[in-house]
Formats: sequence, structure tokens, C-alpha cells
Amino acid sequence: MSISIPELLVNDGFISRSDQEKINDFSERSEMSYIKIALNFGYISRKNYERSLINAGFTFAPIREEKFDTEVLKKVELKFVNNHIALPLRIENNKVITLMSDPSNQLFIDFIKSTYNVEPEIIVANDLDITWLSHKLLGEKYVKSSVYELLRRDPTSSASTTFTSPQLIAIFILIGIVAIGLFLNFKDTSIIINVIISSFFLIAIIFKLFLALIGSRFELHQAVTKTDVRNIVEETLPVYTILLPVYKEDKLIKKLIWNLQSLDYPREQLDVKLLIEEDDDKTLQAVQNLDFPGVFEVIIVPFHMPKTKPKACNYGLHFSRGTYLTIYDAEDIPDTDQLKKVVALFAKLPEKYICIQSALNYFNRNENFLTRMFTLEYSYWFDYMLPGLDTLDIPIPLGGTSNHFKMDVLIELGAWDPFNVTEDADLGVRAYAKGYKVAIINSTTYEEANNEPINWIRQRSRWIKGYMQTYLVHMRNPAALLKKIGWRGFLGFNFFIGATSATFLVYPLLLGIFISYLVFDFSTIHTLFPDWVLFMSIFNLMVGNILMIYINMMAVFKRRYFELILFAIANPVYWLMHSAAAYMGLYQLIVNPFYWEKTNHGLSKVNNPTNVIK
Amino acid sequence: MKISKNQYLFILTLILGVYYLVIGIYLNHLGYYNRESIFYIEKTKIVFEGLGNRIKVMGLTSPLLPFYTTFIFSAINSYLAPVIASAVGTSVLFYIIARTLTKRITDDFYLYMLLALFFLHPGILYTACSGKAIYMALIFFFLFFFNLLKFYRSNTTFHVSLASICLVILIFCDYKFIWLTLFFVPLVLAITLQTLNLGEKESIFRLFISFNSPSLRRKLINKTFAIYIILFILPVASVICYKLLNLTHANDLDYFIESPYATWNVLVDKLNYDIMTTSANYQLPELSIMVSVRVIYFCPLILIAIYLFRESTYQALTILTPFAFVEFLHIKYDKLFLNYEYYLIFLILSLLCLVFKAQTIRNQFIFKVILALVVALQLYTGYIFLSKSLITDENRFITTLADRQPNTDQSETMEMADVINSLPQDAHILMDDAVSYPIVAFTGDMKKLILPYQDVFLSAIETPYSYANYILIATAKNPFTGYTQLNNRYIPLIRIINSGVNYRRVYETNNWVLYRIIATQ
Repeated sequence: MSISIPELLVNDGFISRSDQEKINDFSERSEMSYIKIALNFGYISRKNYERSLINAGFTFAPIREEKFDTEVLKKVELKFVNNHIALPLRIENNKVITLMSDPSNQLFIDFIKSTYNVEPEIIVANDLDITWLSHKLLGEKYVKSSVYELLRRDPTSSASTTFTSPQLIAIFILIGIVAIGLFLNFKDTSIIINVIISSFFLIAIIFKLFLALIGSRFELHQAVTKTDVRNIVEETLPVYTILLPVYKEDKLIKKLIWNLQSLDYPREQLDVKLLIEEDDDKTLQAVQNLDFPGVFEVIIVPFHMPKTKPKACNYGLHFSRGTYLTIYDAEDIPDTDQLKKVVALFAKLPEKYICIQSALNYFNRNENFLTRMFTLEYSYWFDYMLPGLDTLDIPIPLGGTSNHFKMDVLIELGAWDPFNVTEDADLGVRAYAKGYKVAIINSTTYEEANNEPINWIRQRSRWIKGYMQTYLVHMRNPAALLKKIGWRGFLGFNFFIGATSATFLVYPLLLGIFISYLVFDFSTIHTLFPDWVLFMSIFNLMVGNILMIYINMMAVFKRRYFELILFAIANPVYWLMHSAAAYMGLYQLIVNPFYWEKTNHGLSKVNNPTNVIK
Repeated sequence: MKISKNQYLFILTLILGVYYLVIGIYLNHLGYYNRESIFYIEKTKIVFEGLGNRIKVMGLTSPLLPFYTTFIFSAINSYLAPVIASAVGTSVLFYIIARTLTKRITDDFYLYMLLALFFLHPGILYTACSGKAIYMALIFFFLFFFNLLKFYRSNTTFHVSLASICLVILIFCDYKFIWLTLFFVPLVLAITLQTLNLGEKESIFRLFISFNSPSLRRKLINKTFAIYIILFILPVASVICYKLLNLTHANDLDYFIESPYATWNVLVDKLNYDIMTTSANYQLPELSIMVSVRVIYFCPLILIAIYLFRESTYQALTILTPFAFVEFLHIKYDKLFLNYEYYLIFLILSLLCLVFKAQTIRNQFIFKVILALVVALQLYTGYIFLSKSLITDENRFITTLADRQPNTDQSETMEMADVINSLPQDAHILMDDAVSYPIVAFTGDMKKLILPYQDVFLSAIETPYSYANYILIATAKNPFTGYTQLNNRYIPLIRIINSGVNYRRVYETNNWVLYRIIATQ
């Protein structure tokens, strides 16, 4: 059959002549085959493509179990194969058995002929199956690089070792000193511990209020205005990579792709990579079943431990073309003008700014108590704390998604640490330590707030575990860190990465003591809390709680979520859930540090309309 | 070398600070003290030099923040600390206002007017040189309204939360400002109404539209409630916490405002009122209806301020809120005279309004002429209000300053303190600092004194001979005699309990008698 597939698609009315010209133009510029562009840049849906080919008499073969010859595979490069959605498997009957999604791709046929000196025998297959098999068979060097690259380049920054020997010695010495102290003089040691914890809390609370006030000034300032966005010339926009790491998100795929279609960015300049794990057939099937054209390319991440999001992102990085890069989660709804805003901001900022963090918030905030509390927390964190840190030039623990990078510097930094379960926070600190800066932008990505307590605790335990990992990694040599990031950065790092986990671990203990103080015998407590310590502790408890509650109120007030304002009062209960998660995280840090506690998405029953910015 | 506007302001502030300090120290040398500053001096001495439960003194002395500020300056000189604090604080107030002014108005005329007020206005001099904590209330009153007016313009959380924080501090500078919140309750509705995105401009029609549309009504209610929370939850929560602290440490929620051990003005206010209403030339306290008129007489600038904001109903209402506040204070505390501080807030508010709106007047020349005349008039009214004040501290300040003659108000106190200082090192004197705090303030060695903050005080009252060698008693002539247990009825009573102990008068003044305890058994 010598029919040209592009012509067939035009004849069947799935692609117009003008689109065909555009695809051909783009193909010449980008080294991608016609069919790759047609399927991945929103010209035709897979369903229609299949329909057209089947009507023309082609049959789609199941290929996953096809035999292959490693000698044949050695002669092809994954990136080339990926661009043409075609793969030579073996030589049989003096013909190269070749999988192709476009059997009329003459360039690839010529490549086969010239490489193997024999004719190809073409098996037409579904593009996703070919992609799956190509990455599985040829992706090993890339997946190994995504796991070990940072460890090889900068072993001190990798979380592959959780506790170093000096850290273990320091921890045990500290435990020993406390135990001996308690044994020799229980009262004085307890008082000293109390004072240390109380002072620490007091400083942390005041510092957080100060930061929040500094951060709240950000409200007055628009990093990028609407005029800035309007003034952007579309033709000058760079290629923008969007990584979408997903795992078992079959229910969300349709929404995700739909949300991405709404992004205000020229589609040919978008390089959207849907990163699907090799064993995740459900998601792959959901992509296959999409009944509308999508602007994204599927990348299959071959199996390799640890099975974490950063590893998938690192893998996707090998195939990315963009000048800038960002990550979105499956359920994310970014402001439609977010990418343009980022480009405008990067153009304004000095060279050393290599990352821009967008605010995160939730579309299902009014669903239940948990989503309300989560919204309060995120509003405060992204609208006040991060801008505060940014203003004071303190390392910013990046949020999980919607952080936009300059691709070249990201690669230079060694990308994400696959052994760290909060790779984003770690990367923020690593970038800062190398002298780079992170900026905050006035654009929001709406996510799905976890609405299920157990799911929430699992997600939070991963975050807190990740913070502990990040803290341990960067505190392997405190003096070196101090030298790199200065006093301000060092204190900020300790307060925001180290203290976050510590406070959640200590909080239930202190609350327990306070309840005992109220319920049981006062005099016993008085021996451990002399008047001045009690004064300080109660001040912390009352003033600290009130201030933290107030900061939360400020944040939702800024967001105009007036109906949530009173829920801020429930924060002490919400913090108890953090404590449960912190203990779970601590346990996992010791027994299973690299385990990625997967968050289930798509549980919300709330509709998530696209956040169109007019 | 050309100096920047900021440096210029800073230098002016420094000069002003030195000027205040010179006057303050000079008055101090002439013997001028007021009850408030003496109270702070005494409490600071207890905290630094006393023996016993000093944490309670530190935490429950009220007003809290002025006390802490004085506390900081006591490192320089404990007797001058209140004066230094008020001089520095008033200079800071000048700097804040001047900086705000120069940021918004380039015309130096307004800065000169401000300078004239800060250099010459008797009320400002009283604030700066008396050692009272008025400066702090004025600073945070200014910042509260400043942030509120900025919030009206920017509609940002930053300003409304800063306003709330300033309100908290203001309340902890002078608890009476808690009542200011009462008059913001209706005002917040007006503010919310204004911030809703409606086509209609007139407030009453905006209200009509908002109430008749279910979604707008919900938004109005939610937003009004949210502004209440953002503005008032911090002050309310802080007051509750502070009251709980009082409850746990002093078994009384209102200890900090009602106990003479915690605050200076409980007795002073009552005394001022009693003296005036019972004296031969009976003087009527201010009439309720007249307070607002007196305010306008004191500060005609406020009329200009209201005129400047005439186009915005809710902003004009904001400026009028302090009127309702002082009227309310007058009704609520009907047995007190309105302190000078509550007149001065109008001066500060007028300056704030000028900063915001002076540039909007088209005919600047006429406006400046009127302004200059009004400022000159205010310098005069400021003097009149002080010199005719029925409050002793205020009146004495201006007479001491004008006459430049030694002030003998505290000479009796100092005389008794000198006697106590001359007692042997190991002597212990039982005193009640609810009324005798001026004597404690001038006493050199705090370790000699047995005071109510100490745990032994109650036992010492019961059996003074076991704990003390001397007792300081308030005589029947002492105006505070009814407020202390250690008065002329105490000695006969204690004699009945233990007749084996004798009490001999060692030293006596009009208001005080120092007894020596002599065990005869």
C-alpha cells in the first residue's frame, strides 16, 4: 500500500490543507515526523487517526510482546525513534521488522534501508504502543542518568544516603546528653529543654509574623502586569516545556489535557510531556481513549527504583526542547496567562533568577473541613510566606508544581534529586546555595485540595519526610552551608525546612503538657515550669496560636475567600493532623526513606472550571 | 555635599529630640514629676532591684508598653528614663509624620507648619517633656488611622492588618482606646459597602442595591464580617489573653485597670476629681455636650480635615469617629476629666488628613494662609487648655515651664525617701506602694522595703514585728489614705493583736508617718 498517510488524513477531512502545510513547516523546523506533530500538537485525535487508517485497510497490531534483537536496537537512538514514532525490532527473512505509526514515513524507511541494508517490513501500530516499547527497550541509559546523574556529579547533595555517619553520631550524642542530664538532674534538664523549646517557638512565631507582613506587601506590587502580558510579541515566545508526571491518574487525564488546551501560548511553542510510568497501563489507556486532539506528547518512563516523581521528571528532561520548563500535577489548573507572565518576568529579572514560583491554591476549597483548612494553609504559604522569603532573600522551598525554570540552569544544577521525596524544596535550596535566585509571580495554579483525611495524612507525611531529608542533606556540613548561603539564608533554611518538621513533632507533646497542666495537679508541673518559664510558654501558646491564626486569616482575606476566615480558628486541630503526618514521615524516613507516598487525586466532586484570565 | 530629604528629616528629628530632652531634663531639675512617670520609675526599680515575684510586676504593670519603653531607657538613668522615652518617642512621632508628609507633598510649607507645631505647641511639649506615655498613644493612633486611610485607597490586607496591629498596641498603651472599636462597628459596614464593585456612587443607593440582590447581600455580609475579624480579632484576642493572664496571676480579670498596684491612674483620676468637686471653689467637670465643641476649640484644624474629606462619606465618618469616642469616654468615665491626650489625638488626626489631602486644594495660597492662622491659633489654645486644666499634672507642667521656678510637689515625698535612705542598711520598712510608690521611687535601696509584690507582705501586715523594723503609714490628711491598709487605723489595730510591741514615730510629714517597731518583750 503506497498511500501517503498525510494525504489520507486530508482526504478524510480530519486535517485541512492549511493545517497540513503548517505541520510540514513545523516538521522541517523541528525534526519531528508529520504524524508525531499531527498527534501531539492538537491536529487530530488518536481515535480519528485510527479510524482513518483502518478505513484505508490498515490493521493495528498488538506489539508489546514482539521479539526484538538488541543488535538491531543498538543502531537506533531513542530520541530519533521517538520523533518518528517508529522502531526497528529485529531482522527476519532478510527484512527489518519495523513498527511504524505512519507507514508512509519515507524518511524513516530510508533510514532503515541505509542503516541495515535491507528492506523494512512494516507493522502498523498504535503510536502509544510504539512509544511504550521504544522507551522500554531503549530508555535504559536515560533512566539510569535520571537516577544517578546528581549522585555522580554532586554526591553531597543527593539524598541517597539519609543519615551520614557524623549526623548519626551527633544525634546519638545529643540523645545521650539529654538522657544523662535527665538521670542526674531531672528538674534542671527539663527546665533547660523547656526554655530551649519555648525560645525557639517564640523566635519562630515572631519571625513568621514578620515574614508574613513583609510578604503581604507583595499584594501591592504586581510582578507582571496585564500590560506586560499584552505587550508580548507571540512570534518571539520561546519553546516552553511542560512536564506532567502522572501515575494512575486515568480519571484525571481528560481534565488535565482540557486544562492545558486553555493555556494562552502558541501551541507549536509548547512542548508538553506527559510522563507515564511503564507499568501504568490505565493512564496510557485513558490517553488512548481521548476523543479530542491533545497538545502533549507521551513519554514512557522505564521501570527503575526509586519510583519517584523527580526521577520521572529527570527522565522527561532528556526529551525536552524548551528554553523554559515547568511542572504541573495532573489536577492542576494554571491561570491561562501564566506561561506568558513567566516569560515576561524572566525578561525583566536579572540573569541570576533561574526559577519563578507561581502561587498554588485550591479550586475545591469549600468541599469540606479539610479542603478549607488546606486552602487557608496554602493561601498563607504561597501568598505571604514565599513572597516574604523572596523579599528577604532567604532560600525558598519551592512548591510541588508550577515552578518555572530556565532549562539550561536546571540541567547545570543536576535537576531534581530522585531520592528526595520533596525534590522541589531541595532544588530551591540547592539553587540558592549555587548563588541563583528564585522569584515569586502573581499568577496562581489551582489544584485539588485533598479532601480525605487518610489520603491527606499520607500526602503530608511525604512532604514532611521530604523536608527532613532536605534538611539532613544540606546540614551534612553546616559550616559549608553557612558559607554558601550566609547567615540570613542559613537561619531561614533552619526555620523553614528544619523547624517545620520539628515543630510538628513537638506540638502534641507541648499540648499534652498544657492539658495536663489544666487537668491535673498544678504543683507537679510547677517544678518543671518555674514561673518565668510558664509565663514564656503560656505566652507562646496564646500569642503564638493567635498570631498564626491571624496570619491565616490575613491570607484568605487577601484571596477574598471571606467565608473561610473563621475556619482559621480551627488551625490548632489541623496542626494535630500535621503532627500525625510528621510522626508517620519520621518513621518512614528511618525505615523507608525513598518510598513515594502516592496522593490520590480526582477524589473531589467539585467541578474545576478553567481559570481564564481576561 | 548635598544631603537628601531623608537625611534632612533625620537631622531635624535629632535636633527636635535634643530640644525636648533639654526641656525635659530642665523641668526634671526644677522638680517636675508626674504620677505616671514616678509610677514607671518605681516599677522599674522593683524589677531591677527588688526581691520576690518580679515577673508579676513585669507582666501586669499597666499600661504595659509605655512601661517597657521606660524600662529600656532606665539603663541610662532610672529617674530620667520616662523623660528620655517621651522625648525620643515624640521625635519619632515627628519623623513618622514628616516622612509621610514629604513622601506625598513636595511643598516645604507644610513641613514648616509641622515643625512649628512640634517645636512650639504646648501640648506636644507636654507629650515630649513630661515623661508621660502620651507619645506612644499618639504614634499608634496616627499609624492606626494612617493604615486605615491607606486601606481605603488600596483595599489590601496589608494595610488593614497593620491597622489592626496598631490598634492592639494602642490599646496596650492606653486601655481606654478599646472603646474606639465600638464606633468602628457601624463604620465597617460603610467601608465594605464602598469597597464593593458597584456602578452606583451614592452610599445610600449602594446599600439599597446590595440589600436587594441575594448574591451582593451575601458578599456584603461576608466581607463586612471578614473586615470585622481582620480588624478586631487581634485586639479582642489580645485583651482576652491579657485578662486571662491577670486572672491566673492576680485572681482578677481587671487587675491591670483597677488595681492601684498595676496602674497609676486608678487613684490619680479619682483624686483629681475628688479634689476639684469638693474644694471651696467648686469647678464643674466638662459638660458632656461640650466635649466636641471643646475639641474644635482646641484643634480647629480638625474642621479643615473634615472639609478635606467631605466628598467621601465613609472617610469623613472615619475622621468623626474619635469625636464619638471622646464623647463616649466622657459618659462612661463621668467622674473623670478628659486628659489632654484625648484632645491631642485630634491634632494628630488633623495632621494626617492634611498629609493625605492638602495637595488636592486648588487655591494653595489661601489654603496656606488659613492653615498658618489656624496653626497659630492652636498654639494659643494648646497653652490655654494646659494652663486651665483641672488635672494637676497638666497644670503643673505648664506653670513650671512658664514660671521656671522650682516645683515642690514631690518635695515631701523626697523628704520621706531621704529619711528611709538614711536608715541602717539592715533595716526593713513595711510600705504599701499602692499609695506610697513615689516614696519607693526615690528610695535608694529596694532590698530594704517590704512591698505588696513580695510573698512576705501579707504575713508582714499581720505580724509586722516579725518581718520589719519600720512601717510607713499614710496619715489621715493623706488624700490616698482610704486606699491603703497602712493608714492611721492600722497601728491601733495591730497594737490590739500584740500589745507587747511598741511603735514609735520616727519621722512625720503632712501625709506620712514613719514608725519604728520596738519589741518590748
